[in-house]
Amino acid sequence: MAKFKVGCTLFSFTNEYVRGQLSLEDCIRTAAQVGAEGYEIVATQMIPSYPYVSDSFAGFIRECSAKYGIWPVCYAANMDRGMRRDRDLTEDEMLGMAINDLKSAHKLGCTTVRQQFLLSPNAMVRLAPYAEEYGIRVGIEIHNPETPFTPMIEAYREAYDKCNSPYIGFVPDFGIFATKPNKPYWDQALEAGVKESTLQMMAEMKYDEVPQKEAIERVLKIDPSPAAMSVLTQMYGFVQFKKDCRKELEGLKEIMPRCFEMHGKCHYIGEDLKEASIPYDEILPVVAESGYDGFIMTEFECAGDYSGIEMVKRHIAMERRIIKEKTL
Amino acid sequence: MAFALRMNLVDAISDHSLKNTYINGKKSGYQFEVRLNYYRGHYLSDIEEFEVTVDGLKVKEQDIKFCINEKEFDVCQLGECYTEFWTVLEPATVRVYKKGGLSAGEHKIDFKVIFRSPYMPIGPDHQYMCYDGSGIKTLPVLD
Repeated sequence: MAKFKVGCTLFSFTNEYVRGQLSLEDCIRTAAQVGAEGYEIVATQMIPSYPYVSDSFAGFIRECSAKYGIWPVCYAANMDRGMRRDRDLTEDEMLGMAINDLKSAHKLGCTTVRQQFLLSPNAMVRLAPYAEEYGIRVGIEIHNPETPFTPMIEAYREAYDKCNSPYIGFVPDFGIFATKPNKPYWDQALEAGVKESTLQMMAEMKYDEVPQKEAIERVLKIDPSPAAMSVLTQMYGFVQFKKDCRKELEGLKEIMPRCFEMHGKCHYIGEDLKEASIPYDEILPVVAESGYDGFIMTEFECAGDYSGIEMVKRHIAMERRIIKEKTL
Repeated sequence: MAFALRMNLVDAISDHSLKNTYINGKKSGYQFEVRLNYYRGHYLSDIEEFEVTVDGLKVKEQDIKFCINEKEFDVCQLGECYTEFWTVLEPATVRVYKKGGLSAGEHKIDFKVIFRSPYMPIGPDHQYMCYDGSGIKTLPVLD
């Protein structure tokens, strides 16, 4: 029996929120209406008194929890190492920001903090006693093109093993399991005039693991447009994909005891309740079998002209469909 | 300036926001509102480039005040404002000193802002992905 819970990050409603079509309260209510059992809040996006949480904002969030029955499970932090114009922040300064994030998360009643990779493995180890004091687990997001076994993530695993605190870990993003090209970016490239045959050639090169430099040279010969270069860069970067994700799923199993939240990434979910590039039918059984009892937070990436509300609704429905069909 | 991405979430320059401003009852400048055209807020120190051009004439930095959080900053101060956060929903006001203000009618405002996304490094030595949040709009001056 699957123990995980389904929620959504309010980031999924970015287009509607920033354009003034949904207020923060509307976002929370909408999340509850489409089936979320909890939510994640992106601090730099939705906390009006950022980097602090005012008493009135904390009160507002509590009122929303009482009204809509869902609460802020996770505080998504940004590690703004480059926020100064003259230099990068030092590790001490970043640790200070991360401690402040813990304090804010605690005031909102969150039990998890999503941190980003600019906070080093050593800084995470230094953060562990503070996380323990607040009773909040902090996870570094593993986002495509990283995987559980790329050198950057291995460095965290090694540091965590030495430290052995149950309060520091990971937040994997399911984009790392993509097995097909990203649909919104593919469609945007088509609209910008890139031929379907060129896109198919790019995808084949990615599947065949042709090095990026060589792929660029080949594409330049047939379509040197910025749109073509842009979609090729995406295919080799943040929305990269592979023939299959078995190896990555094995990596997920290894780190599962240190996973505090998961980002249920979605770029496009069709009416058939299937994600266009990420094989959820393969991922969710692995998560369920591990006994993971935290949240999978739907994260619609907001690319393409799709309704964030509809995409989150379909994503949660897709998760429930898979749980039922596979009797997880 | 290096390559900058764009995220077209909102108009950088807000409609119906261009107004003349007064000192001692005399028109002495104008102001308009701008939004951060991005998905999240930023410290003002993330701003790399900031320029205002009105009716084809670039405004001198000394005549511009960037107003947010009930404070007014000079353009040359922005780089040091690493504790001043501009949230994504809050319009900022750009206030320009101009003796006599703007004449009645429409004016073309060209607002240029380039900012770093400070969690997206693209190389060593303080290199970050930049975003272009600029906008151009012709607005009637309201008073």
